[in-house]
Amino acid sequence: MNDWMRKVLDSKRAARRRLRALSFSEKLKLLEKLRERSLEISRSPLRRRENKKV
Amino acid sequence: MGRGEDDSALRRDGFEICPWLSGIGMKATLEVINRMQADGVIGKYAIGGAVGATFYLEASATLDIDIFVSLKNPPGSPLLTLAPIYDYLTSRGYKTEKEYIDIEGWPVQFLPPSGALDEEALAQAIETEVQELPTRVITAEHLVALALRTARAKDFARILQFVEAGVLNADRLDQILKRHGLLEKWEQFGVKFFRGNP
Repeated sequence: MNDWMRKVLDSKRAARRRLRALSFSEKLKLLEKLRERSLEISRSPLRRRENKKV
Repeated sequence: MGRGEDDSALRRDGFEICPWLSGIGMKATLEVINRMQADGVIGKYAIGGAVGATFYLEASATLDIDIFVSLKNPPGSPLLTLAPIYDYLTSRGYKTEKEYIDIEGWPVQFLPPSGALDEEALAQAIETEVQELPTRVITAEHLVALALRTARAKDFARILQFVEAGVLNADRLDQILKRHGLLEKWEQFGVKFFRGNP
């Protein structure tokens, strides 16, 4: 693993640590945002067209 | 943190706060569940699944809420039934869909204890608050034990998240796994994902 990749992974770990340290209420806000995005993606006509192919 | 209160922690981490996210929709769902408890429809309850895991880990997308719930046997019946919950909620206009009930925009699945592990998880759940609303969450170690028992791919992924986050009390987890006959499964999990050293 090169230095650049190590830095990327360290940065991701640090971001995850910060997100874990948020209060439960703050994390639930993020969870709701993620849920809304998941629902938007699943409603997308493009996604439905892709599903039909499979 | 109430509606319109400080969101600086989220902004600091690069999350733009949408106006509709200034409060938590799930709080309304939990308020209804707390009211059910106050009205005697359910006994103790605790949040499990992905929402429960969010208490300990970073938030991850989920579409529903798992609520572990203690129920009272109906008079003269040895069987636990979810009927009082469904009756209570449908009479207040909430809609059911398959095994879920939509409460204030969140599909909720009520899970009565199906064995000793569930009962213990419910009894030992942690008391916490969501925007000053009291609620309970299954402990991290019990969430791992429940995930290990269920053993779907997404359950294994969640266990890995717990291990990587370093939030588990190893002694406590070990005792739970021993008590509920899950040590062999845990060892298999270790072999599969950690080459023998979970």
